[in-house]
Amino acid sequence: MEHLRTPKVENVRFLDRSSGQRKATIGTLYLSATHTIFVENNPESRKETWVLHSMVSSVERPPTIPAGSQLILRCKDFRVFQILIPQERDCLDVHTSLVRLSRPEKYSELYCLSFNPNVNKLEREESWNFIDIMADYKRMGVPNNLWVATAANSEYRVCDTYPSELFVPKTATPAIIVGSSRFRSRGRFPALSYFHQDTLAAVCRCSQPLSGFSGRCQEDEMMLQMLMKSNPGSDYIYVVDTRPKLNAMANRAAGKGYENEDHYTNIKLQFIGIENIHVMRSSQQKMIDVGEMRSPSMTDFLYGLENSGWLKHIKAILDAGLFIARAVADEGVSVLVHCSDGWDRTAQACSVASILLDPYYRTIKGLMVLIEKDWVCFGHKFSHRYAHLDGDPKEVSPVIDQFLECVWQLSEQFPCAFEFNERFIIAIHTHVYSSQYGTFLGNCQKERRDMRLRERSHSVWPQLWKDRAEYTNPLYKAELSQSQGVLRPNTTPYCFKMWKGLYNHTEKSTPPRQSPADFLSAVREESQQLEEELTNHQERIAALTGKPITWEKIEVPRRRTSHLRQTHSGPDPPTTYTDTITSPAQDNGHTLSSKPANQKTPTQDLSLTLPLRPHTQLKSPNPDDHSTRSNLESGMADLSSCSSSRRDNGKDPNLDEAVFITA
Amino acid sequence: MEKSGSIDSLGSKRSSSRHPSVDSLSSSSTSRSDRSAQAKPPSGMSCDSVATSADLSPELRVKRKTAAKQVLRNSNKEEPQLLPNETVQDMAQDVTYFCPFIGALRGTVTVTNYRLFFKCMDREPAFVLDLPLGVVSRVEKIGSASSRGDVSYGLVCKDIRNLRFAHKQMEDTLRKSIFEVLVKFAFPVSNGLQIFALEYGQVFPENGWKVYDAVSEYKRQGIPNESWRITKVNDHYEVCDTYPSTLAVPVNIPDEELKRVAAFRAKGRIPVLSWIHPESQATVTRCSQPMVGVNGKRSKEDEKYLQAIMDANAQSHKLFIFDARPSVNAAANKMKGGGFESEDAYQNAELVFLDIHNIHVMRESLRKLKDVVYPNVEDSHWLSNLESTHWLEHIKLIMAGALRIADKVESGKTSVVVHCSDGWDRTAQLTSLAMLMLDGYYRTIRGFEVLLEKEWLSFGHRFQLRIGHGDKNHTDADRSPVFIQFIDCVWQLTRQFPAAFEFNEYFLVTILDHLYSCLFGTFLCNSEQQRLKEEVPKRTVSLWAYINSQLEEFTNPLYVNYSNHVLFPVVSLRHLELWVGYYIRWNPRMRPQEPVHQRYKELLAKRAELQKRVDELQREVTNRSASSSSERAGSPTRSITPVQTFV
Repeated sequence: MEHLRTPKVENVRFLDRSSGQRKATIGTLYLSATHTIFVENNPESRKETWVLHSMVSSVERPPTIPAGSQLILRCKDFRVFQILIPQERDCLDVHTSLVRLSRPEKYSELYCLSFNPNVNKLEREESWNFIDIMADYKRMGVPNNLWVATAANSEYRVCDTYPSELFVPKTATPAIIVGSSRFRSRGRFPALSYFHQDTLAAVCRCSQPLSGFSGRCQEDEMMLQMLMKSNPGSDYIYVVDTRPKLNAMANRAAGKGYENEDHYTNIKLQFIGIENIHVMRSSQQKMIDVGEMRSPSMTDFLYGLENSGWLKHIKAILDAGLFIARAVADEGVSVLVHCSDGWDRTAQACSVASILLDPYYRTIKGLMVLIEKDWVCFGHKFSHRYAHLDGDPKEVSPVIDQFLECVWQLSEQFPCAFEFNERFIIAIHTHVYSSQYGTFLGNCQKERRDMRLRERSHSVWPQLWKDRAEYTNPLYKAELSQSQGVLRPNTTPYCFKMWKGLYNHTEKSTPPRQSPADFLSAVREESQQLEEELTNHQERIAALTGKPITWEKIEVPRRRTSHLRQTHSGPDPPTTYTDTITSPAQDNGHTLSSKPANQKTPTQDLSLTLPLRPHTQLKSPNPDDHSTRSNLESGMADLSSCSSSRRDNGKDPNLDEAVFITA
Repeated sequence: MEKSGSIDSLGSKRSSSRHPSVDSLSSSSTSRSDRSAQAKPPSGMSCDSVATSADLSPELRVKRKTAAKQVLRNSNKEEPQLLPNETVQDMAQDVTYFCPFIGALRGTVTVTNYRLFFKCMDREPAFVLDLPLGVVSRVEKIGSASSRGDVSYGLVCKDIRNLRFAHKQMEDTLRKSIFEVLVKFAFPVSNGLQIFALEYGQVFPENGWKVYDAVSEYKRQGIPNESWRITKVNDHYEVCDTYPSTLAVPVNIPDEELKRVAAFRAKGRIPVLSWIHPESQATVTRCSQPMVGVNGKRSKEDEKYLQAIMDANAQSHKLFIFDARPSVNAAANKMKGGGFESEDAYQNAELVFLDIHNIHVMRESLRKLKDVVYPNVEDSHWLSNLESTHWLEHIKLIMAGALRIADKVESGKTSVVVHCSDGWDRTAQLTSLAMLMLDGYYRTIRGFEVLLEKEWLSFGHRFQLRIGHGDKNHTDADRSPVFIQFIDCVWQLTRQFPAAFEFNEYFLVTILDHLYSCLFGTFLCNSEQQRLKEEVPKRTVSLWAYINSQLEEFTNPLYVNYSNHVLFPVVSLRHLELWVGYYIRWNPRMRPQEPVHQRYKELLAKRAELQKRVDELQREVTNRSASSSSERAGSPTRSITPVQTFV
């Protein structure tokens, strides 16, 4: 609270630039310890916009104009808000407060540690046990007679950025592990990431060897030999260096580098050419700039997109994953993956390969497990990369953005192979940045343990799991032949699209409003209801024909509450805050989502678009999730009469209202 | 599955011996055969595919169910299944087809009066190339006989592909090469032969020529009414030989005056009604450019006529004239006697230029696009290469123009007049797209057929000249992909409103395939008058007969009848995409990875099935409770009325 210079400013003009809003609304700006909240003056809508401080990536203060002083808030999920404050002093106060609040200096200032949720201790502990990595190794069939758990890194003695529980070849003794780790950058020795039961080939990961120009290490060479030996089906392994060869060579001058094929028997070295975090950072920025162009020409857009290089980088990562997946599944050869430190590109390559190899990781739970395993446990530096704390801007880079985008691009190519939808991927993206939950806090397992995060915060996964109905892809079909086994994506350039859902809020709020996926979700939902009705009828018939039956059994509450709740990409704010904030109590998602969405100016610009609308309703439409849904629902009504039963379910009254306003 | 860890992008590494190179084709052929079992190939005239002959031509599909066994038996033959009245003209063994995706294939070529059929039996399953000769734009002999004595031929096709064949030099020099035979039948018009559509003898349950009837279509729109009448002034195509015989014009303009208006409009194409808004009575009318010329000629009749069009709509005191051309081009037309309406002469009219380029620019744009996408898309610079074709830019301008028209009519309740130079290319694109946005009827399969028959065929889009059916003169400056652009725009609309169209992508691809195939009479000739003169409806089968005989193939499972809705698409370029499913469909690597439509259908079918069963049981419950209540009055079951399981 000490950083709050002013809690409230009135008569503020507010413009949600990223959602394509063209006319600013007037209202009051509140600053809380955790959120910036804008409440519209318009008594009818009283629309609120909540922006979590930790989601703000920058606060700009352009020169003052006669009407007042401006602030531009850029968020980590690519939203942009423009604020006009009449008094310059207020503006300065807000600016100073926000700059400070959006850049916490200590973990203890973070949202997830600053609130005391009302959930009991047991529940919190359970939330951390929701994802069990050991169970996933078991699912892969590890430990077995080839791979065993090692205690070498317990208490993080060998490598402080690795998890304490690791799997290594059965023959690898602690001495070899320690020896190998001394020869690896930051002690990140080769350890198992994924074991492929069909071919017995494995994906392992490590960091670069400290070879310099001529250095070698007997234990490390033995370690790689053991990796090879633990796959009985092959007499060599691939060592995938995900860096461009030039970068790897440059590292030799610093005493690091890559494996010398003369020293290691039976390895095949492969460079993939994924660029480093600095290149990725600037590439993403260029692409965001393209997305923000007001009315770009086709030339501006396509050239801009190409020159950003972003899609090329995504392709490189997918290619890396594909190389590994093919080696493991088709050739039956184990792969050792590394980059420099083995926590960025290595995590990307390994997790993409796992997604391609194993259908389990294409489920909702599976993706959680995969991220927990390859990213959280193996020490991807979340807090540095996603700027949870004020720190070195050179450490910031959209590494997991790229992994998530690879998953999205794959889901575009294989629409029936993923249990989750785009919303789920975006929700994970938001949580990675928002630090509302403890899951992604810190830079490695040891740091999280030292912070006692398990006692002080919650895991995000059970929360996402609770809302899984909302995140389900209706097209998913596990039995489909293409959904099983290895995915073989096409990685020619025209298969990569700009991810509008993430980068282009401007157009996310505008059509295409008819999403087949939403429509099919509704269809699936209905099918479920019908199935229940069917059972119900059967039981009634059974009852009528004289058999005893208990009626209570039929009135089973349905698992469908979350589906009709407001869609929000942000994490739930703590329940404690809903009481203190003055406003129609809204207990869901307000990192930044806004309630009855952005009213468009009635004069329709032609570049804006209108939804499907009946001739009779000529009021300007509201591009909003709700109206989409209501549209679809009314569409459903055309198709069948049973949809009437959808209406009176525990629906958020605000939602109805929103739909009403927008209709 | 192939044994390799190589990735295509690692091109430089590919040659190294340790990475057995795969171009993913060995794998794709396997997966493709998987797929063919589950989903249809994207096109009826599938090429470069290993599809079994059952998939090869539409006619076979029609009778596939009955003929399935026969097809299986015949699949080992080297000849195609012939259509009624299709005859084999020549056959040649040991011809090499250079497939850009698989490599050289040796097989047998059969040329009939309808198609080229290549089959390579060396592969399992056999490789088949089945090409209607109508898609061939030009045949070139490439180089002279090589040292090995091979003669090579290149076929440039209208549907975004090029094919290359080679065979041994004929020993008997008198004997004609099979490709010389092919040239004869590929260009029947230039060789004094009949287009195959005139011989094709398939009978379909429905007569596709009856799909469109001008009078009933106008009646559907509510014409005649108090402001608009149907005129027969063009009954013998005397006023305008490129217009249909039935026209809708303002009530208070007598036929005699129409003739005077015709004198002032290029090719006599006077403003006539295309569509009328059911509520506001705002109209979409189309015509050609006024003959203003350098001296700024005026026509009282024309001015009065446009005033009458405006007056027919009581809601608005304004009229918008959309000139599809860039203003520079429109002005340049004055040199040739044409031009545009001056706002001085036409009071209350506002003239808007839509900046759509002419047929030559479009032809060049598509040619460039073909270079970029066929046979392979280059890995680097894909986006800038795509940009350099300007194809999407043109698509955007057409859609933006149509959107402005639709918006004026729907939101502004203002009548619009649309023209370009002659009013048969860009005008047809604009009016038909605007009508598609405005009127849900045209978004049904039959409605779309009516739309094409009306705005394109009856209003004289010059299909014969634009496509060059059976004509070997491939450099003809009249050829242009105007209609393809329109279908592309429709596809863009279906992408943005996936539930608003009754038809699917396959329907659009099928229309484009038969635009060239010359199997049906639909797209023959340049105008209604010509088609009547040639007795096309009597002598040929309509494409709609074929399509309507198997509607299920073409139906979008997601369709919801939003008949009262107006579609306003986003024409922002971020929402326009290259139609990969058409332009890059020959590349086996772009084939859809998964049969999504299959899943759509499954989900919808499942719900329908459940609904049916619930209804049945509901009935049973009602019946039983009615009967049991009489027996066991007061039993608890009676009080439970229609099921409400939801909380």
